[in-house]
Formats: sequence, structure tokens, C-alpha cells
Amino acid sequence: MTYSSDVLIVGAGPGGLSAALAAANCGLKVTIVDAYPEPGGQYYHQPPSRYRNEATNRQKVGRILWRRAVNAGVEIRSSTIVWNLDNKKNASIHGSGGTETIHGEIVILATGAYERTVAFPGWTLPGVITAGAAQTLLYRRVKPGKRVLLAGTGPLQLVTAANLLDAHMKVICVLEAARLYPSIDGGIALVGQWGRIREGSRSIAQLFWHRVPYRVGWGILRAHGREQVEGATIAQLNSEWQPIPGSEQEVSCDTICTGYGFIPFNALAKMAGAKFVWDTALGGEVPVRDEYFRTSIPGIYAIGDSAGIGGYRMALYEGAIAGASAAVDLGHRVPLAEKIFQSTSRKLRNEQRFQKYYSRLFTPKDGIFELSHPDTIVCRCEGITRDMIEKAVCCSGAKTLQELKAVTRCGMGECQGRVCGPTISRMVSKLTGMSMDSIGSFASRLPIFPLPAGSFQITQD
Amino acid sequence: MISFTVDGETFTGNEGDTIASALYANGKRSWRLGKAGDYRGLFCGIGICYDCLVKVDGMSWSRACQVEIHPGMCVETNLQGEGHL
Repeated sequence: MTYSSDVLIVGAGPGGLSAALAAANCGLKVTIVDAYPEPGGQYYHQPPSRYRNEATNRQKVGRILWRRAVNAGVEIRSSTIVWNLDNKKNASIHGSGGTETIHGEIVILATGAYERTVAFPGWTLPGVITAGAAQTLLYRRVKPGKRVLLAGTGPLQLVTAANLLDAHMKVICVLEAARLYPSIDGGIALVGQWGRIREGSRSIAQLFWHRVPYRVGWGILRAHGREQVEGATIAQLNSEWQPIPGSEQEVSCDTICTGYGFIPFNALAKMAGAKFVWDTALGGEVPVRDEYFRTSIPGIYAIGDSAGIGGYRMALYEGAIAGASAAVDLGHRVPLAEKIFQSTSRKLRNEQRFQKYYSRLFTPKDGIFELSHPDTIVCRCEGITRDMIEKAVCCSGAKTLQELKAVTRCGMGECQGRVCGPTISRMVSKLTGMSMDSIGSFASRLPIFPLPAGSFQITQD
Repeated sequence: MISFTVDGETFTGNEGDTIASALYANGKRSWRLGKAGDYRGLFCGIGICYDCLVKVDGMSWSRACQVEIHPGMCVETNLQGEGHL
């Protein structure tokens, strides 16, 4: 039997919770389905219960938002994944109670993003983890390693370094690939961004206090080791983020935290058949949306990082607008919805202005996608090397990611090409000169997450 | 403390630990062989990359970064040459 809700929201991060609160306040019946044990997503990730009274301010704010949503009548199904979504707004879910279908009159996708990683020699070695993975260890008071190198781009690297120092770990240095010079447009973009300035200065002060070098315009070239990381080669990067010959240095470390920004997790909008467009500044492939964040599929919205990287504030504001807009679509409490639109739109415009500046600064340049050697594994799941990809392009004539998948098996593993796809498409673009739009992406396949065999059956209505 | 086994060897972790965080706390960071026979472990930490796969109480394709440990949990890896998990 199909369970039905006015609004079905996928993801209980800042965007999903904010959308749920707005829709519920407008009188709608709201159900959130979330993959994790507790709401919060990545930004408001809640600590394990044993560390609850040591929660950070951010975790407390997330908990308050969660409580407000529950008090407004929102039903939250945790530890439950959505593994399919059709264009009739039927979502197939799998949780502790098994598999079922939920229909939403309106569906709001708030599935967030994941960190962009790039293929460099040694990036598959244990001990090379994303900055986000280091955070998940720190939430549990586990130290990722003894000597940590951070290499990537964006504020998460800095914040993670500060958090590692707070946990009394040795941070060797932080490599920031982007060239962060003071500029007039940067100054203008930062006006009114006191929260960001405060967090950034706190992290930098923390590095300074512990005498950790913050090397701007530097990056990692390779990780060394056999069973796990034992060291790394780093180098200065030019303005295209290519290593400058002769600047290489060896560092001794046992852990490398890496991350070059974020990639929208958009698999469900794809499954539903929404129209997509390539926008490098927004993290790659993003669904086409109207001003209320409706996708091209009637009744399906996409908000927050899943629809274009913008951070948690953007997700909060987009969520409020989408939740209120859902109420208008269904003819509920329109005056309150109008109020939400009015109170949110200015804050949203402010965020969009900052996002433009942010993406110009931190969007990865080509050099970072050219670090792999011929024998470097590019597709981690299937163990496909750069050499095999290049041969498929040059000898077999594969031009799109779908053709490459057929020839080499890249992107065919458990992650469905989410990790390697963005890197491989940049490699193909470089080899062939084709645009990212024409190279395309790996298709999302049902189920979008591996499920235990026999746990789902497909019924034809 | 919670005791669990990995390929028969006993490890302990705290309540709220995932398999991955408990293994990291024990200094064990390599627990899988990739298709090319290379060592793997934790990578993305949020359940996206499927690089940390183990078998948990007989259930294949379990992500060590997502599954919380419980007393007596039996984790199997493919390090002994079991091949694909």
C-alpha cells in the first residue's frame, strides 16, 4: 500500500528541515525521509548521545530546528533511504521496516552535497580521507591520525584544521589551492557576512597560534605509502592550479584530509527525469529551477546544495521558500506563505551575491584534474586507471561518460560514478575539447543506493 | 565499551562508534582490497563512496562509516582473498 503525504521531503539537513517547518506552519502534512540516524544532515550533524552535553553551538541550533519541525507536526523517518523517485512523485524507500512507497503531492529534494575529491597518485591509500570524514571521526572523539596534512580548497579545510587542533592533533600544514589575495570585490562580498568572517578568523587564529603553515596557492601531488599513507609530495600551483616544476617538497604525514569543494547530490531529480544544466560555479550538473525552486517535473522541487552549491544559509532560505510555495500550490494558508516569501527573499539575494564571489574564488581550475599518472586509479570502485580511460577515448572513440562506462566499466561500481564522474568528465573534455554538457554524466540507476538482495520488489500498478 | 570482531579478531569501541571510527581508534585503517588488489579503508565518511565496504553479521555491502557497532557484531573483510564484498 502506498503511504501519502501533502509534502514529502528527502533529506533532513538545513534545507529539508527549513522546508518542512515552512510547509507545516502553512498547514500541510509533511513527511521527511532521511538516510541518517538523526536529523541534521552534514552541517547540523548531531553528536552520539554520549557526547550530547558537549554539543557545539551549531549542533544545538540544528537540534532546535529539528525540535521546531517535530512540534509543528512534521513526521521524520530516520535511517531510511529513498532509492527511487518517479515523475509521478512516488518515492521508493527502504528502512528498518523494509521497503515501501511514499507518495507526495509535492516532493522537495534536499539531499545535499558530497565533497569533491580529485584523483592524484596514492589517493586511494587508507589514510587519505575527505575533510568531512575527519569531521565524522572527531564527532566521536576519534583521532584520524597522528600527523595530518590538509590539501584542498575552501573554508571546510580551514575549519577542519582548527577542529583537529582543538582535538590536540598535530597538523603539518594546510594547503589551499586557490589564490586568496585581498581584493575590492572580495571586500564588498564580505560586507554583512559577519558569521563567515568570525568563523574564518577564528580558524586562522587557531592555525597561527599553533604555528601551522597556511600555504595559499599550494596543493598535493601524490600520497606515498604501501598499506597506508606514510608521506606526501606537495608543490606550489600556478593560477590554473597546475604544479610549478621545481617547487615540489616531501612531507612526512600519516593522514591526508582532502576536498576541493562540493558536488550536488542530484540522483533523485535525475531519476525523476528533471531537466539538468551544467554550471561549473554551482558544482556541476544542477536541475533547472524556477524562482520558487520547482524543477521541470511538476510538483518536484529541489533546494539547497543538491540543486547547486550555496551552503547552509542558502539551503535554509531556499527551503523556507519552497515549503511556503508548496502550500500555495496546494491552496493552503496563502497569507502566511506570502509573509515567508517577503521575509526570506532579501536574505536569499544576499546569499546569492556572496555565492557568486565564493565560487569565483574556490571553483577548481583544470590543473587539479590532471594530477593522475597513467597507472593512477581514477574510478575507485572498479579500479579503472587513467590510462584505460584515455585508451577508451582515443582508441575506442568513447566520447560521453555513458560510452566510457560501457567500454571500461568506470562508474559502474557501488557509488554509481558519483566520485569519479566529475573528474573523468573533465579529463574527457581536456582530451577531446568537448563541452561538459555534451560529455554528460553517468545515468542514475535504480536503486540509487545498493540494497540487500531480496529487500525490494518492483510492482506494476 | 562494546566488543566486536573483525575477521575473528576482537576489537572494542564506544557506544555511538561506527565500525570505521572504532577501527580508526584502534589504529586499523586498511580493511579492504579494491578490485585492483590495493588497500582501502575510510574515504568519504558520509556513505557516498562505498570504499569502506565490509560484511556485517552476514550482510554484504555494509558501509563501515555508517553502521554503528553493537556487542558481538561480526565484521568480515575481503583481506583474506574473499574477493568482491
